[in-house]
Amino acid sequence: MGDGRSGGGGVNRPAWLQQYDLVGKIGEGTYGLVFLARTSLRKCCIAIKKFKQSKEGDGVSPTAIREIMLLRETCHENVVKLVNVHINHVDMSLYLAFDYAEYDLYEIIRHHREKLNHSINQYTVKSLLWQLLNGLNYLHSNWIIHRDLKPSNILVMGDGEEHGVVKIADFGLARIYQAPLKPLYENGVVVTIWYRAPELLLGAKHYTSAVDMWAVGCIFAELLTLKPLFQGVEAKATPNPFQLDQLDKIFKVLGHPTPERWPTLVNLPYWQNDQQHIQGHKYDNHGLHNFVTVPQKSPAYDLLSKMLEYDPRKRITAAQALEHEYFRMDPLPGRNALVPSQPGEKIVNYPTRPVDTTADFEGTVAVQPSQPVSSGNAASGNIAVASVAPSRSMPRSMHVVGMQRMPNTGMSTFNVAPQAGIGAPGSGNIPIPRGAAVQAHQQQLRRKDPSMGMQNPGYPQQKRRF
Amino acid sequence: MAANFWTSSHYKQLLDPDKVDVVQRLDKEKGLTLEEFRLIKIHMSLQIWKLALNVKVRQRVIATAITYLRRVYARVVDILKIAICLFSVCRKSMTEYDPRLVAPTCLYLASKVEESTVQARLLVFYIKKMCNYAGASSSDEKYRFEIKDILEMEMKVLEALDYYLVVFHPYRPLLQLLQDAGITDLTQVAWGLVNDTYKMDLILIHPPHMIALACIYIACVLKDKDLTTWFEELRVDMNIVKNISMEILEFFEYCRLDSKGNILIPEDRINAALNKVAAKP
Repeated sequence: MGDGRSGGGGVNRPAWLQQYDLVGKIGEGTYGLVFLARTSLRKCCIAIKKFKQSKEGDGVSPTAIREIMLLRETCHENVVKLVNVHINHVDMSLYLAFDYAEYDLYEIIRHHREKLNHSINQYTVKSLLWQLLNGLNYLHSNWIIHRDLKPSNILVMGDGEEHGVVKIADFGLARIYQAPLKPLYENGVVVTIWYRAPELLLGAKHYTSAVDMWAVGCIFAELLTLKPLFQGVEAKATPNPFQLDQLDKIFKVLGHPTPERWPTLVNLPYWQNDQQHIQGHKYDNHGLHNFVTVPQKSPAYDLLSKMLEYDPRKRITAAQALEHEYFRMDPLPGRNALVPSQPGEKIVNYPTRPVDTTADFEGTVAVQPSQPVSSGNAASGNIAVASVAPSRSMPRSMHVVGMQRMPNTGMSTFNVAPQAGIGAPGSGNIPIPRGAAVQAHQQQLRRKDPSMGMQNPGYPQQKRRF
Repeated sequence: MAANFWTSSHYKQLLDPDKVDVVQRLDKEKGLTLEEFRLIKIHMSLQIWKLALNVKVRQRVIATAITYLRRVYARVVDILKIAICLFSVCRKSMTEYDPRLVAPTCLYLASKVEESTVQARLLVFYIKKMCNYAGASSSDEKYRFEIKDILEMEMKVLEALDYYLVVFHPYRPLLQLLQDAGITDLTQVAWGLVNDTYKMDLILIHPPHMIALACIYIACVLKDKDLTTWFEELRVDMNIVKNISMEILEFFEYCRLDSKGNILIPEDRINAALNKVAAKP
């Protein structure tokens, strides 16, 4: 993997690049650029993420290191595959080559919302969710927390052998959590707040895998309704963990958290500090059922409410979610999420990713830097702030201040007026032995346990058909 | 996998003992002997340790850094893989990869991987400071590196490691095993022994829990504890544990230790060895 011999080619085309035919640029962020390329030999599509050398003399960015470190170890159908790493010693840039995925949940949801005006079919929603959970269960059982799950980071494969298969991507913020992890904001990292778990918003000092499950709950609701469930407006001053508006949006839908339902709530800094906003009871007429389109007694609703459980210790785990009744009833989830389950149903043709063919691997766009290449896609409004991106914002990896999918003007139409109803979402009250999934490796040599040889106790035993 | 040793790249990359301690062709041509090759590795491991104490990083970071250093000079791919992939990663020579630069770079990279990043300029500062302390030794100049050198070498090291960065260490299993055996009073001795194993190539050859067991075994012998039954109940090959223990003890004999247990390597021998690989042909 990675020859790194860059001696050969000229400045524009290092030797290793000969194996790729560049198609064009498909994304951009502060860390660098993303290109679409075809392998010269097999003609399969590859997404190449180029990391720029930081100017501060910090060498390879920690984001790239994390991504390489984790993806070099992972191997799962629902986790994006790192196929190659290349280094260009001349300009000290680093390239990560991934299997290319044509779609992502952000674009799929948007296509339904803005172009089709109808919801995503049940089979597709369920298959996408199941595969997302399947990949996440793999990560969590291997002690990896993603920490930045959102629709734009959940990719779906286009035409080919893996058509309609979900791939969790962008591991730039992911971590192994053998030791407790400090909140990202302490490193000044900015991530989208819409999918951020309430314990983090209230100043919890450590991450658990439950933060990913909250994000999955938000994504599930968005797949059902085509609009983000909690669209808080971010308080931008400094990396700020306390996001009052985001909390307010959550309270509006789920009601206020109480120490009765969430005992450790009283220990969280912002619960203690802010009596007026946080402890006050502004919303009485709340209820998740007012915001999602599924019947309150349905398994889908039950699963969703268990993902959006306030208490992280009671929140459903990925492993438990996979066993939920929702996935055992028709339509059953399948491997190709984009193909309709019933023969009569119409196939949705999702738009392909726009490609800026004027860019070369150096990222130096040859001509017309301000020309929007991807007309029709630039209309979303939420990339208006991204002055650096001529074509459109990066579909993945949005932990970039200027490029976040922020709740701008156009989004306000999604807000649904709360209706009467006091039913709080079911809490589930499941005692979850979080962290018990995988024992430290030397456990396997323990006596009196014949089942523990060389196998991996952490892996889910898949009973599914596909 | 990242948290399961048996599915990790670390496990898959464990090497045969006879493949680890081999002088690379280019170094051999410079006249580097196997003995000198070993001395340089020991010396550089100690250098990483000293540098790490200055910049204050956790033990884990040091252990990962030394593992990287040793992997750079030991990594071999089997013939078949080389045949398939011409550009595949091979053992690096000390001639091409100056150990004096590779060592601090490994610490730099390890600090990022273990999420406790140390700035390159801080490393450069302490390297210079350490050189000044060392006195007027002839090789001092060769220890002086600029930030740019470290950043360039970082990429080369990444490449030499074939981008496998997750390393498992004996420390965690050690604590759990000591607990299980009910001999936590031996923690300090055994922990020190584990530290010492990084002066050898054991981490490239054996699973970390086996190294931990060997250290416990030695600690028991040193402190006169009888753990025979406990060891017998473990589902491990005790012959391997004993062999590792022997290797560690042989190593102690090989290195002359001073009164504090520190390894003493005559500076002139180190310099002679380093000068061989540094010499221009």
